[in-house]
Amino acid sequence: MRATRRLTVAAIAAASALSLSACLASPEQGGEAAGPDDPIVVGVSLPLTGDFAEPGKGVQRGYEAWAKHVNENGGLLGRQVELVIVDDQSNADRVASDYERLINQDGVDLVFGPFSTRLVVPAAQVAQDYGFLFVEPAGAAAEVFEQGFDNLFYAAPAIADDHYDHLAEYILALPEDERPKTIAVASMDDPFAQGTAYGLRDQLAEAGIEVLVDEVYPPNTTDFSGIAAKIADSKADLLIVGSQYQDGVNLVVALQQQDYQPQMAAISGAPTNAEFPAAIGDKTEGILAPTGYTPTAPYPSNQEFVEFYTAEHDAPPAEDEANAWTTGQVVAAAVEAVGCADPSPECQEQLIGWLKENEVETVVGPLSWDAQGRPQSAHLIQQYVDGEIKIVLPDDVKEADLVHPKPAW
Amino acid sequence: MTGALFAQSLVLGVLLGGLYALLAAGLTLYFGVMRVVMIAHSAFLILAAYLAWYFHERTGIDPLLSLVVTVPLFFVVGYGMQRFLVSRLRPITLTTMSVLLTFAVALTIEGLLGFVWTGTQRRIQLGYSGTSIEVAGVSIAVVKLVAFGLAALSLGALYLILRRTSFGRALRATTQHPEAARLIGIDTDRVAGLGFGLGLATAAVGGTALALDYTIYPSLHWHWIGPLMAIIVVGGLGSIPGAAIAALLLGVAASLLQVPLGTTWAQTVFYLALFVTLMIRPQGFFGGRLAQRF
Repeated sequence: MRATRRLTVAAIAAASALSLSACLASPEQGGEAAGPDDPIVVGVSLPLTGDFAEPGKGVQRGYEAWAKHVNENGGLLGRQVELVIVDDQSNADRVASDYERLINQDGVDLVFGPFSTRLVVPAAQVAQDYGFLFVEPAGAAAEVFEQGFDNLFYAAPAIADDHYDHLAEYILALPEDERPKTIAVASMDDPFAQGTAYGLRDQLAEAGIEVLVDEVYPPNTTDFSGIAAKIADSKADLLIVGSQYQDGVNLVVALQQQDYQPQMAAISGAPTNAEFPAAIGDKTEGILAPTGYTPTAPYPSNQEFVEFYTAEHDAPPAEDEANAWTTGQVVAAAVEAVGCADPSPECQEQLIGWLKENEVETVVGPLSWDAQGRPQSAHLIQQYVDGEIKIVLPDDVKEADLVHPKPAW
Repeated sequence: MTGALFAQSLVLGVLLGGLYALLAAGLTLYFGVMRVVMIAHSAFLILAAYLAWYFHERTGIDPLLSLVVTVPLFFVVGYGMQRFLVSRLRPITLTTMSVLLTFAVALTIEGLLGFVWTGTQRRIQLGYSGTSIEVAGVSIAVVKLVAFGLAALSLGALYLILRRTSFGRALRATTQHPEAARLIGIDTDRVAGLGFGLGLATAAVGGTALALDYTIYPSLHWHWIGPLMAIIVVGGLGSIPGAAIAALLLGVAASLLQVPLGTTWAQTVFYLALFVTLMIRPQGFFGGRLAQRF
């Protein structure tokens, strides 16, 4: 423990020293004007190691694919795009100093956001201090939008609380005898996972559905049998889980071990992961999950994205890659419309102003934002039907009918 | 709390406690024999879990069979680690320096696991992963039962080795009084090496048991080492029965406390027990001076 604290102190000291020297160095660096042939440099800090390494790498793949695609198609404003990606080790102190350095020392023209709420908030604060536009691919928790940022835009269809809106609507429209009467909730102690799960819980609880179990577990939990015992004991009709990945898998297996059979299981996070069916085996049938992205979504630019990405990586993109690509699309739309891409406050202000007023066509559908940067759509709801995850809500883009009650797992 | 939930939690606690008991037994063995604090014990545990997963991934054969390879392998690695690394530390600072050394070993293992198999969480998918048997309204997962069985068997074997073999006697003599043991002709260096190997072999068994029912990732070992360290202190450093009893009690306590307190707070029972032990009975509850004898 003590060793960790010393390390933290050392890291903070190093970070402050860095940012101090960065501040001192900035006046000399900011003066150079970029020529028309210079590339547009985009600075990003991502969690490439540490707790968020997996999604962080997904975002990296998305950003890199986007940049490559742009460059192969004539660039932005006729200039090539160059990404500078640094690793923040999933550390919130690091991410702030990273953006300081990118903006101040490296003199990047634009910045893109990192992954996860915990890193987005400190990063957005730095961008705000320098007047930079901050479009981010993964900070969906409510608190991101309550910090008073006016430069932030979340490049996904909906914030966490609204992910389940389509499902809540569906459940409340069910006839009385088919509607679940009791709920069991379990969520990771994480603003994003909780936001998603509690969005659905609160809408249903308000409509009079009774919450029997409401569990929160720390991110490092590996043994879920205790939580499963409580949920199984409650025999709730509807199971709501807010998970990242491994926790969702472990909880579902633990529930199956205790033979808990809900009528409906809504699990955010884990099920949309490509490895989920392999981890759970043939027991995924009927599991519902909100998703901000699926390669089969019928939006115009999505097909192009899926084709390009699949050709590059031999695998279709997942949500992290798609949100990164969306971030690129959103910034690119603003840059093309305004006609500038440089770190000057005037240009950044124009970019921010344009996004506040306009809608952007993206791979996750058309996006527009409120004043705090909340996107104004809802997530698609997917369900495992006949062994495959398919869109079941909303009706206009569905690939299969929602199965209710779900088959036993 | 309903009766059914209480019974279920109790059973889960015993099953978990069994696994803790095996893992803590290895940890307390190192300390007993050599006064070594083995931070890397749980890293080897995760390494064994990865080997079991990889074995299953490659061959499709039940991961339990990987024990045939990992147990002897870990025994040899443990022996080598003691003879070539740990024994090179100066005896006077052995305990403190061993923390540093084994911390480094743990980081190395974690790094290598991440390097070879990336940070992606892995899970063995078995036909019987979600299967359970029901006894008097309590579901007992087959994988947990297998893990518990493995733990019980290994603990039993460890007990027999220490009690019934001449090596076991030599090991206990070395634990009790190394100098006296040397005087009566025990090669304490060799015994210590073998003891270390034995401890690491239990990590191989524990890791395989763990892989049956848990998702694994390289940094998972940090979540295990804390409770395990607490268990061996509560049980009395060096005392294997003490570690086993403390593991079972704390495992059951954590499982039962989870019902009213939730997961976050239930975990603190290990550390609370540690604090209480240090305050009122620093030599441990079940070992004490007896700890030196076994």
